[in-house]
This record gives sequence, C-alpha cells and structure tokens, in this order.
Amino acid sequence: MTATATIPVTVTTDAPSSRARSVPPALVLAKRRLALTVRSPRSIVVPLLTPVLFALVIAPALANTVALPAGRTAYMTFVALATVGLLIPLNCTFSGLGVIVDRQQGAMRELLVAPIRRSSIVVGNLLAALALTALQLVVLIAASALRGAVYQSGLRMLWFLAAAVAFAVIMYGLAEIMSVRLPSPVEYISAVPAVAIVPFFFAGSLFPITSLPHWLGAVAKVLPLTHALALFRYGIAGNSGVRALHNIWGLHSATLMAVLSLLVLLAYAAVVFAGAIRLFTKAGTS
Amino acid sequence: MTALAEAPAVEAVELEKVYPGDIHAVRGISFAIAPGEAFGLLGPNGAGKSTTIGMLNTTVRPTSGRASLGGRDVATDPIGTRARSSVVFQDTVVDQPLTGRQNLALHLRLWGKDDAAGRARTADLCGLVGLDEVLDRPVATYSGGQRRRLEIVRALSSDPEVLFLDEPTVGLDTRVRHDLFDALATLRERTGVTILMTTHYLDEAERLCDRIAILAGGRIVACDSPAALLGVLGDEVLELRVDQPERAEATLVGAGVASGDLLVIGTTVTVLPRAHRADALVAALRERGLVLRAVTTRRPTFDDVYLRLTGGRIDAD
Repeated sequence: MTATATIPVTVTTDAPSSRARSVPPALVLAKRRLALTVRSPRSIVVPLLTPVLFALVIAPALANTVALPAGRTAYMTFVALATVGLLIPLNCTFSGLGVIVDRQQGAMRELLVAPIRRSSIVVGNLLAALALTALQLVVLIAASALRGAVYQSGLRMLWFLAAAVAFAVIMYGLAEIMSVRLPSPVEYISAVPAVAIVPFFFAGSLFPITSLPHWLGAVAKVLPLTHALALFRYGIAGNSGVRALHNIWGLHSATLMAVLSLLVLLAYAAVVFAGAIRLFTKAGTS
Repeated sequence: MTALAEAPAVEAVELEKVYPGDIHAVRGISFAIAPGEAFGLLGPNGAGKSTTIGMLNTTVRPTSGRASLGGRDVATDPIGTRARSSVVFQDTVVDQPLTGRQNLALHLRLWGKDDAAGRARTADLCGLVGLDEVLDRPVATYSGGQRRRLEIVRALSSDPEVLFLDEPTVGLDTRVRHDLFDALATLRERTGVTILMTTHYLDEAERLCDRIAILAGGRIVACDSPAALLGVLGDEVLELRVDQPERAEATLVGAGVASGDLLVIGTTVTVLPRAHRADALVAALRERGLVLRAVTTRRPTFDDVYLRLTGGRIDAD
C-alpha cells in the first residue's frame, strides 16, 4: 500500500451511450454466460445425452420394429429429427438453471445494479442458450446422419432454422419464467419434465398426431412443439413435413401451411418472451 | 462541470418503504451526502439500512419520497443513476469460476468504461491493493480478503461518483476486515469517491465515515460526525452489574444522575456520570446495601450512543 499512482478519474455526465460501449450489453452478458458454461461442460453434455441416445439407438430400433423394410430409413429420419424437439427444450431449461445460480450465488445482484436495461440480461441469456443449442443441434443432426438418417439440404432448410430459433425462444422464455416462479433448483428441476419432455409424446414425435385420440389431437395442434416438428421435417425431411403440416392445418398449399405454423411459433415466442422479460424486470425490483 | 456537479452526491427526501404485509422497513428518512464525503448508515439488522441502499441503487422501489444521485432522480433515470454508482455487497457477487481479470473486464463493459482509461484505472487499482499476482486465477481460488479487494476494485474500476458499501465486512475475520478498510482508505484517498456505507460494526463507521446516521426502526435517530455523536456522552461510562437494578436506578437518580443518562438492560446498569464522580456513585449504591457484582469504567463507545438513542444494543440481533 505504498504506491503513489494517481487513479485516472473521469467525470460521468450521463448514462453510458451506445457509442461509449464497444459491445452491446446483451452480447457482453451472452459472452459471460458462455464463459461460465464452458467451465461447466456437464451443462453442455447432459442435455445432449437423451436426444443423441434417442437418435442413435431408439430411432433405429423403433424403425426396425415398426416400419416395413422399405420405410425404415424414412421412419428413422422421422424419429431422429423429432429428437430436436427434445434437445431444444432440455437445453433451454438447463440454461434457465443458470439464472437461479446467478441469484443464489449473488452475481444477479451486480447485474441488477449495472447501468443497462434489465431486459438485456434476459436477452443475453437467450443469446447464449441459442448459441449452445445451435452447437448441440449440429452434433445431433450429424450423429443421426452418420447412423443412417437422411436429411435434405437446400433453401427449405431455412424453415428448419427459423422454426428452431422461434421454438428455442419460446422454451428459453419459459425457462426464465420458471426461474422466477420456481426460485429453488429443486423445484425448478422437478418441473423440467413437465415442460421439456411431456409435450414430446403428444406433438407427433414418434407417430403422426392423427393417431392420437381426437381430443388429444386437438390439444397437440396448439402445442408449439407440434408446429416446430412439422416445420423441422418440412425443412429437411421432405414429404413427412408436408404430411405433418397437413395433419395440423388440412390445407393443400404446403408453403401456406408452413407460413401459418411459423406464425404460430412466432406469436408464441413474442408472447412468452415478452412475459419473461416483464416478469424478470418486475422481480428485479422489490 | 455542469450545474449537476453542485448537487449533493446522494440525497434522500422523506424516503419510505413499506413491504407487503404492512412492514415498514424505512419510515420517511432524509439526508444529503456531499461529494467526496463518507457517510455511514449504522444500525442493527432490520433497521432499514439495506432497504435504503436498495432504494438508492434502484433494486428497491420506494413507497414514497424521492432520492437522487448527483441530482438525477433514481425513479425517473434509473440507468443514469446506476451509471454513476457501484455497489460492494455484503456477499460475494463476482463470478467465481471466472478469473479476476474476466470479472473486472465484465464490469467495465457493462458500465461502458471498457476504454484505455478504464483499463489503466483498473490496473492501477489492482496494483494499489496488491491483486496483480492473482488476476489470472479463477476467483474461486482467492482468499476471503483477496475476493473482497477484487470486489472493491471492480466497483471502483468504473470510476463511480458514489460507492455503496452494503455491510461489506459481514462474516469476515478481523484480519480481512482490517485489510479491507486499509484498501478502502487508500482507494478513497486516491479517487475522492463519495461513499455510503451500511454497517452494524461501530468501529468501522467511526473509522471510515465523516458522518454517521444512526437508524432504528426505519428512522434516523441521530446524524452527525463520529466525534460529535460520542461527545454528547461525556468522557466516561460507568457500567454496573447489580442484583436489584430497579433499586440501583432509583438510588442513582436520587444521587442526582439524570434519568436520561441511565439505562438498565437485565442486571446491567449503564450510567453516564457526567459531573458526578463514578466512585461517589458506586459508594452511594453500596451505602444503600446494594450488591455490586461488577463495576467498570471506560471510554464511551458508539454502542453507548446507540443504547442511549434507541434503548437497545446495536448488535442485539
């Protein structure tokens, strides 16, 4: 404590302007979240385990069991692609746990007194969840393709990408809401299956929704996952996607049905994410 | 400098917070802190200290009243006021898996100060408190003292006009507390930052603060310099442990001690003798046949100030 250096002092005249920031706060916070996640590899690997297991083991086994030899590849692709609908909810809900950890370990207090919009904190977490999800999707799709699933490339992949992003926004929004409503990790984790796994069985993952009882089929049509799966298949699995969209909308134009399903996802995403931001902001001030 | 520079660094006017359940945490407190001043909010748990800081740093919404930092209203310009301040919390809030350097960089980026001046200031601050050697280690490997110093450097790295210290030494051992206050005194001298500190450690308030407001039940019951607050008690305190405290109290009043200079808690009677001689008061009690189990005379402390103002001990809870 004998140094005599003078600390450079500047006069603060206003809130930090966007010009003063080299990087937007949401990106700074996304980078923080990713840096924390990298130091906890389990949080990357664990959400990937179940979908990869499904795609590599269960999808081929089911195909061998229930499909005719000529349709095995198509059915395996059908189920393997459905695992995306398992991966995104699991990854996003695990990402939501990070918010609870921030609250419990104190870091959230520092973020709440930072000169940034509180919505930036939620958006930063979302960006990190999207980045991790994208990485995991690549692993999942590549692994299932190596196992024998056949995917199509081309411009229609954009439907897949748009649906994946919109669905991830919905699921991450739900995760943020859960982290406010269920502030203990035990409560939170106990709610994860209901949010991330149960819808998987009613959304046309393993069989078309037309195979469900009528009333359950009606419920399936309002689940965002049903629309997301239909668009995933429409984007990279060809005809099974058109059939899935038709099972929801009953129309003849595949493009129109895809647009409608995407609009449904976007509407869900807007409502859920706006709700998440509102709830988080409210919880940040007592 | 703008006209705002003439405003108090921190101002609270009739600030009040009522939590759901009709819990009155803060009951209309007012104070103003001059730029560069170190101001202490002293009181036991539940006195309203942290709620007051919360209202000033925008994490608690006031029920009524207003507050400002550098003339900017915290309710209408929360981001602007947060940009002018930093908080050192009671608990560790840095990301422990990250290195000290990563934590400091994060703070600078969030406060929009990640420029050459900000980085130079941070490097100087680290040098001043001896953190250079550990900056590239994960914070989880730091000692308690290093962690607290990192939190202080982080808070000051954004060059705040106001530094809030919310019970910064709770749970720390004596060595680390001294270490921390040494760092704080050095950094305050160098940066001229305005400090608002809450604590229930009397010695801390006396050591760091130019003025102290004593809070009890959500109200400010006294506000002055440490010397002035202590000065009203005189030079000496007589502390007695007796079997019959009520009789002792009556005897002392009969001997001329003002009732306001007496406080009875259990079997302990605390007396401000003032013009009376302590040994004469003790003799008067013995003459009445009272059994004195312990007799102590000592210099007044802030605990005595607090006792006299509130009737309770500051560390009672």
